[in-house]
Amino acid sequence: MKIIVAIKQVPDRDSQVRVDASGKWIVDTDLQYAMNESDAHALEEALQLKEKTAEAGGEVIVVTAGAESAGTVIREALAKGADRAIHILADDLPSRDSFGVASLLAAAVKDEKPDLILAGLQSEDLGNGQTGVILAELLGLPHATLILNVEKTDIGLRVKRELEEGWFQNIELPTPALLTIQSGGNKLRYATLMGIKRAKTKEVRQVAAASLGADVPAVAVLEQITLPKKQKSTQMLSGSPKEAAAALVEKLRLEVHVL
Amino acid sequence: MTVFLPTFAEPQRFSLVEKLLFAAMAVASAIIFGRRFGAVLSKILKSKKEPAFHLFPIGPRIRDFFLEVLCQTKVIRQRPLPGLAHAFVFWAFLAFALVTLNHCASVFGLGFLDPAGFIGRFYFYIAAVFAVACAVGIFGLFVRRFLVRPKWFGQHLSWESGFIALLIFVLMATYLASFGISGTGTSIRLLWWIHTLALLTFLPIVPYTKHLHLLLSPVTVFLSRGGFSQIPPLAGDEDFGLVAGTDLTQIVSLQAYSCVECGRCTEHCPAANTGKLLNPKEIILGLRDYLNDLGPQSDQPLLGKYNSQEAAFQCTTCGACEFQCPVGIEHVPILVGLRRGAVNTGEWQNDHGAKLFLNLERGSNALGISPTERDKFIEKQQLPLFDGTQEYCLWLGCMGGYDPKGREIVADFARVMNHLGTSYGVLRKEKCTGDPVRRLGNDLLFQQLAEENLKAIAQNKVKKIVTICPHCVRTIQEDWKEYGTPPEIEHHSEFLARFADKLRVPQVPRTWGPGIEDTPLTQSPTPEPGNDKVVFHDPCYLGRYRNVYEEPRTVAALAGNLVEPERNHERSFCCGAGGGLAFLGEETGERVSNVRAAELVATGAQTIATACPFCNSMFRDSLAPQGDAAPQLLDIAQIAARNLPPANSGANNH
Repeated sequence: MKIIVAIKQVPDRDSQVRVDASGKWIVDTDLQYAMNESDAHALEEALQLKEKTAEAGGEVIVVTAGAESAGTVIREALAKGADRAIHILADDLPSRDSFGVASLLAAAVKDEKPDLILAGLQSEDLGNGQTGVILAELLGLPHATLILNVEKTDIGLRVKRELEEGWFQNIELPTPALLTIQSGGNKLRYATLMGIKRAKTKEVRQVAAASLGADVPAVAVLEQITLPKKQKSTQMLSGSPKEAAAALVEKLRLEVHVL
Repeated sequence: MTVFLPTFAEPQRFSLVEKLLFAAMAVASAIIFGRRFGAVLSKILKSKKEPAFHLFPIGPRIRDFFLEVLCQTKVIRQRPLPGLAHAFVFWAFLAFALVTLNHCASVFGLGFLDPAGFIGRFYFYIAAVFAVACAVGIFGLFVRRFLVRPKWFGQHLSWESGFIALLIFVLMATYLASFGISGTGTSIRLLWWIHTLALLTFLPIVPYTKHLHLLLSPVTVFLSRGGFSQIPPLAGDEDFGLVAGTDLTQIVSLQAYSCVECGRCTEHCPAANTGKLLNPKEIILGLRDYLNDLGPQSDQPLLGKYNSQEAAFQCTTCGACEFQCPVGIEHVPILVGLRRGAVNTGEWQNDHGAKLFLNLERGSNALGISPTERDKFIEKQQLPLFDGTQEYCLWLGCMGGYDPKGREIVADFARVMNHLGTSYGVLRKEKCTGDPVRRLGNDLLFQQLAEENLKAIAQNKVKKIVTICPHCVRTIQEDWKEYGTPPEIEHHSEFLARFADKLRVPQVPRTWGPGIEDTPLTQSPTPEPGNDKVVFHDPCYLGRYRNVYEEPRTVAALAGNLVEPERNHERSFCCGAGGGLAFLGEETGERVSNVRAAELVATGAQTIATACPFCNSMFRDSLAPQGDAAPQLLDIAQIAARNLPPANSGANNH
């Protein structure tokens, strides 16, 4: 199976994030970066599929768009077992919308003819959840989102999709297809010394974004980034313990939406 | 007045038949010996060369050889009675060198020790004294092995050991029986031939059994790695640790063949003592079996048929095994090597282990907590930031920065340093020193952490570090050397011990605490430990690893009268957290920490003093079921801080 995995380098979720002077992006000096978490699960799913099918010609290719520094997530992916990589060099990634990024990705992989494309469900910085879906449309591939597990069948794929309230949906779809992968469906592997040493000899094809001829006008424009306003509101619930508990449950369900 | 002293007798002359018979037997014996010994030597020499092995400085090697081999210090000190018995046997072997040479030469009329001459008589008498000691010794050891049967010898009775013991006894008995009888006649000839038979049977058996240590162990002791629990660097791009036979180095092979199966390692192993699979003796013997069956050029994995991966990952790296070994086997580098082989290749699949590695791949600490939490702690405790001008950098470590108990220890230590006027600061950002991943064998992560930390330390111009965690001390001082030059570092026990006098007298009268009912404020303050007993638990990484035993006791004694648990100082029993195991989830069998905590509680002490945040954390969990009945558990920093005036900072909140 030839599988392409789209990955993105994002600021580490524990970083202290500050809005920059323009109000349109964050201050990106002094930040730690890491591979987007659902992308890591997508990569893991791809690697497990390759290991399970283990036919000759099985291949996992990672593709990313970003600045030169995004090379670290590529190396990490190669160290964990991906076979080769495509790095679309774009210094202005934050200023491109999902449609723009998906267009770049589509242009970079259009000649690869993969059996399957995996992408993370959503990124940890913008969280649009759109790029994978748009990429599928641009390539004319059937797609499914929020996928936890992928199984290869004789006629295509069988996937498990996460719904709400503990419900799941099983879908069968043909290949080639695109799936966006939700975090937590599989256990991530750690990078090993052996993997890193082998990664040194694996191909990383760098291609400048401009050369892809896929620059499209923005469909969505990021107007402003603000930190969430911290609010503290205290409500005293009265009544017997039973009544107070019932009132609490109702508030948690209907007002706070955590139940 | 003549005193009748029996003379040693030997046959005066030998017939041609006897000469030929002896020659044939000796040659046969030598050939059998030579072939097997040659094969073992060949396996050792054909193993990979040990990377970064330095013969020099040779002084310590000679010293250790003299003490451990010739004087048998470790053999005797760690198991006195059997050790002494063994020492007698060993010294007798040395003393008998000339006797044996003379015995064989005399067949051909070339004997050089004349039983009637002054030198000969003197020498034979000296040897006789040793012979008596040896006979008594070997008899005692025989009784121990076959009648007393200590449990760490295992269930299986070693008949080869029994046979060898018999041969040694026969050699000594025939020697002693040769005193005071006539040099002519059949009895002396019979004794001579029995002695010869025993000798020529003994020789070829040696390389087929653990008695190979007679020849190898002096070399093994001499060629030790040169440091305790010294993990060798990886050699080149294709080295991932001990994966297969081809990875075994000459030192490891030499050590594997030197094992005498005494079981001292297993006797002191926390895993072996709590029902785990791990048995350090079996790890070494597993390697020996591998070498015997497959040799050092085989591709077959070392972890599989001969040793199990599960056992290898039950080791806390406490070092008790390596410390006890009388023949110089270094278990910890071997275990870490086996782990490296499993982790660096991705063979090791473990949920907790993967989580630890992923936490450190992305984040800064082994607990997987956001670094902003450490920032908040520093702010709350008003810890000064290190700016390059202070004398000390206080290294928090993962426990000191993120664990609630570790933070209490740091806070109290900071109070003490403030009181003493020490100039110190904490780094704005720290990454885990890498200790757990180093001991688990993840060289990729360890290299990353070591290099990043060394860079940050150089940038911040840190010259001296003091820290509360012995694991940080060890890793920074020794393991980081592989990737750069670490700064000076000491453990807070070494720091506090220097100021023990200043901390001994309470600065204000104690009006709270055990034993104080009504202390008038006009009374001059006197320390009142009363009947309070305090027991100090030696952390593995401070005691055996760093040889620091008395400094923490000096500080712990501020809390009362020091008592010792049964296993103390270099025999301290691990708390179970080391080797990365604190991060690996529930253990099988009994919890190591519970066993040790029970031992500490059994001393009857009111206070258990620790000097390592991991030990503290483990015992906190072990003592929890006892609730208020448990002794109080305090780090030595907390003990030191108790005597200070009440803090004016918010250091008591967390």
